[in-house]
Amino acid sequence: MDIYFFLGKGGTGKTTISASFSVGLSHYNKDINFLIASLDPAHNLGDAFNIELSNKIKKLTENLSAIEVDLEKMIKEYLNDLSTNLKYTYKYLTSFNLDKYFDVLRYSPGIEENAVLESIKKFLKMNEFDALIFDTPPTGITTRVLALPKLTLIWTKRLMDIRRKILDRRKMIENVKGKTEAIIGDEVITLTADEKEDQIMIELANYSKEMEDLMKLFQSDLTKINIVTMPEDLALFETKRIIESLNKFNIKTNKIYLNKYLIFDNPPEVIKGKIIEQDRVIEKMREEIKNISIKDIPLLSQSPRGIEDLLKFYDNYILE
Amino acid sequence: MTALIALVGAAFYLFFYFVYGKRLEKEVVKADPNRPTPAVKLRDNIDYVPAKPFVLYGHHFASIAGAGPITGPAIAMAWGWLPGLLWVWLGNLFIGSVHDYLALMASVRYDGKSIQWVSGKLMSARTKYTFEIFIYFTLLLIIAAFMGVFTGLATTNASIGTASVLFIIVALIEGVLLYRTKLSFTVSSIIGVILLVLSIYIGYAFPFIKITNAHTWYIVLAIYSVFASSLPVWILLQPRDYLNAYILWAGLILGLVAAIFAFKGFNWPTFTIFSAVTVGGKPSPFWPTVPLVIACGALSGFHSLVATGTTSKQLDNELSGLFIGYGSMFTEGFLATLVITSIAAFGMQVFQGAAGKLTDLKIDLNLLMTDKTYLANKYAAASNSVGGAVGIFTKSFGKMSTSVGLPENIGTTFAGLWVSAFVLTTLDTAVRLARYAWSEIWEPVKRVSEGFYKFIANLWVASIIADGLALLLIWWGSYNILWPGFAGANQLLAAIAMITAAIWVKRVQKAKPSWQMAVLIPALFLWITVTIGLIWYLFVVVPGIAVAFNKYMLGGFTVIMLILNFILVGDFISGWRKGPLPEAETK
Amino acid sequence: MKKLFDLLKKIFKGLDIGLREVSTSLIEKELEETENVFALLTMGAFAGIPSPPTGIILRILPYMQREIYVMIARSKNIDDTLAEIAGIFSIE
Repeated sequence: MDIYFFLGKGGTGKTTISASFSVGLSHYNKDINFLIASLDPAHNLGDAFNIELSNKIKKLTENLSAIEVDLEKMIKEYLNDLSTNLKYTYKYLTSFNLDKYFDVLRYSPGIEENAVLESIKKFLKMNEFDALIFDTPPTGITTRVLALPKLTLIWTKRLMDIRRKILDRRKMIENVKGKTEAIIGDEVITLTADEKEDQIMIELANYSKEMEDLMKLFQSDLTKINIVTMPEDLALFETKRIIESLNKFNIKTNKIYLNKYLIFDNPPEVIKGKIIEQDRVIEKMREEIKNISIKDIPLLSQSPRGIEDLLKFYDNYILE
Repeated sequence: MTALIALVGAAFYLFFYFVYGKRLEKEVVKADPNRPTPAVKLRDNIDYVPAKPFVLYGHHFASIAGAGPITGPAIAMAWGWLPGLLWVWLGNLFIGSVHDYLALMASVRYDGKSIQWVSGKLMSARTKYTFEIFIYFTLLLIIAAFMGVFTGLATTNASIGTASVLFIIVALIEGVLLYRTKLSFTVSSIIGVILLVLSIYIGYAFPFIKITNAHTWYIVLAIYSVFASSLPVWILLQPRDYLNAYILWAGLILGLVAAIFAFKGFNWPTFTIFSAVTVGGKPSPFWPTVPLVIACGALSGFHSLVATGTTSKQLDNELSGLFIGYGSMFTEGFLATLVITSIAAFGMQVFQGAAGKLTDLKIDLNLLMTDKTYLANKYAAASNSVGGAVGIFTKSFGKMSTSVGLPENIGTTFAGLWVSAFVLTTLDTAVRLARYAWSEIWEPVKRVSEGFYKFIANLWVASIIADGLALLLIWWGSYNILWPGFAGANQLLAAIAMITAAIWVKRVQKAKPSWQMAVLIPALFLWITVTIGLIWYLFVVVPGIAVAFNKYMLGGFTVIMLILNFILVGDFISGWRKGPLPEAETK
Repeated sequence: MKKLFDLLKKIFKGLDIGLREVSTSLIEKELEETENVFALLTMGAFAGIPSPPTGIILRILPYMQREIYVMIARSKNIDDTLAEIAGIFSIE
């Protein structure tokens, strides 16, 4: 599966470009089935298409479908599942205030990133699609999401090491005293010392395999990261930051779309300053960012809305 | 005589267990079999889990017994055999065992909280922090003193040195057998015991580790303890701890049986002079210095930590407390009795056997054997010819065990291994505990400089510092100087615990005034003795220490101890005056 | 005669249990500490220490009964550990 991520600050035109990209690419590759998903909690995708989108996949053309993922709902759902599960398992740990812990979890940093990653995973499993396009949440979250598999691997490895120590010690005690039976509340639980039987180890191993696959996918050529930015100082700074932080996790940036580029024959006085800044930034950009192709897209008097407009936009400005 | 004293000792302890111990249980502790102990009430199978009394007794006794009840009494022989024995019997009876038992039961009543915690409640909160600093320095002294004890043995007796090193290898093997192979526990244990016996035999027959340079051993021991204390426990510490239990009981039983069968009279003076040379090469008045010499066996503050750290959380029933807390201490007293017995009967022969070395040390063997005063003054020096006071014990024990058909040198090697096995274990555990106390002491620094804290509390740094300091302490001196420092700190701990117990008995237990006195008077006597003993140590022994580092270290430590001591008394007096307290609030 | 035999059997059984205890008590304590650490690391969010990505927590939390139990049990005595360590390590 090919994956296309569109990253960018708010207001750079990321949604428009990603929507246009999806329309264009699907138009010229009729044998490939595309899905464009908005992972941005502040969904604009529907607006770009002029079609109302929801948390259900909607077919837009023969080979293009779209969806606006409801992350809130996702988070609520799996926290609820977990909560019911735990209340059942932990009914004797009354001093362990489950509800309080859940409050902490609900607002803990990382819960949103996790939800985004989980939804990406879900889409990856959908065999009916050959290519995925993602309109991403604000940059901070997205870079953390892309880095999450590697970070998770670091943690799972560490936890698995400690787990192995635990199982090792249990095995030693088992050798002398037989299997340990822990009495929690009314229940008697036999503690296993076998890696293959220990639920926690199994989960950690499975999860780490999933994350490893994801990490490799993000690092491979199948994943194309596109940054949408503007010819402004702050935007350049941000773009460089994104490229660097992704590099740290061995994720390559594919293309930069320099959007809302001002083209004036006779710029009015008020705009002149902006154009000078723009040129300066562009020069800087070409100097400092090597090996990544940069495509300029001019500022349009009207943003493309609807599939036809988006296709035209693609033909004019995105197609190479 | 050996048989007589051994049997009288046993009888003494048995008798007073029932006559005095049971009364303590009834009138002071007011033990109630129907009152659930923390192990039952708070049972979580992690820290709180009731253990069978016999098992807990064995565990507790093994925890408190070590090289202490051997070293102290052996050094005290300079006063003759009776004074030390009286302290082991009477001091144990009126102070030591009372201390152990009451600390245990007070802790039981406070939900298994440690005596440190309880003293904070009944006296003052600052006692808790000072405990920690205290314990850290005490641990340094233990490490240093025990390094000295072991080295004394190993440099003069290659069999013991060899057997000890072999024993470490045996422990390593035993660890693998017990925890890593599918061999049954029984089989692994049997193999372990066989290998243990083998290492004694090999040490006896082929004593190939002939390192006679003390400093070499000090360095070896320092390196050993830094590494051993950083290993996971299953590799060395746990299996050795396990095998030590066999050695301990074998030694006790062998000692008792050999003493009875030896049926030998004492040829050691009953009583030499009041101020024999025992502490730091100075004439030491029996009172107040005997608690600075004989610690475990008669009285030891560390026991209250052990009793209230884990044992109190595992007591199944209040009535078991007497057997475990009181009984263990009595057993240790009995062990000390056997030590005294063996030296009293065979010590002189040991000296005779070392005639050549004694002449080298310019000590007149004849005078040693006939002149009490000469013995009192020269005993410490003379014992260096055979590996220190502990060396005399191992050789005496060896001679005594011939009465049951054991070749003398095997008996000696066994006794030596007995001491060294416990010493090596204590070196390991003391470094671990010292590391912990060290990081606790530096906690407040965390807020100021986290980087520094991380460095100073690092596993290796802390271990190396602890060992380094201990090494400096022992490098130039003999353990005769350090041992009283350790014993003094230990007894001060006992004084704190005893005083806390006295307050508990008065204010919470509301025992009859006569019984209050039964606890208060020993507590005060102990306090006065230790205080005067420490002052004496500070003004008589410390100035005589040749090495500056040791002088200032020990001197400084003693001053701090004395200051803490007086602060305690202030806290005690204000605590005693206050009215009755309700039963334990443990929050 | 049978009573003596039974008594002996009881003594040996007790001895066996006791010896097995002695030979594993330190390892058990180490195990409990490691289980404690595992729970603390996983649920660090509760205590303000860096915690693993939420995804991991969500996956393994349902199975961590034992570890959480140990963590809570150990946390009760957090202010009184010096004596406990002295006891565990048999400092005489």
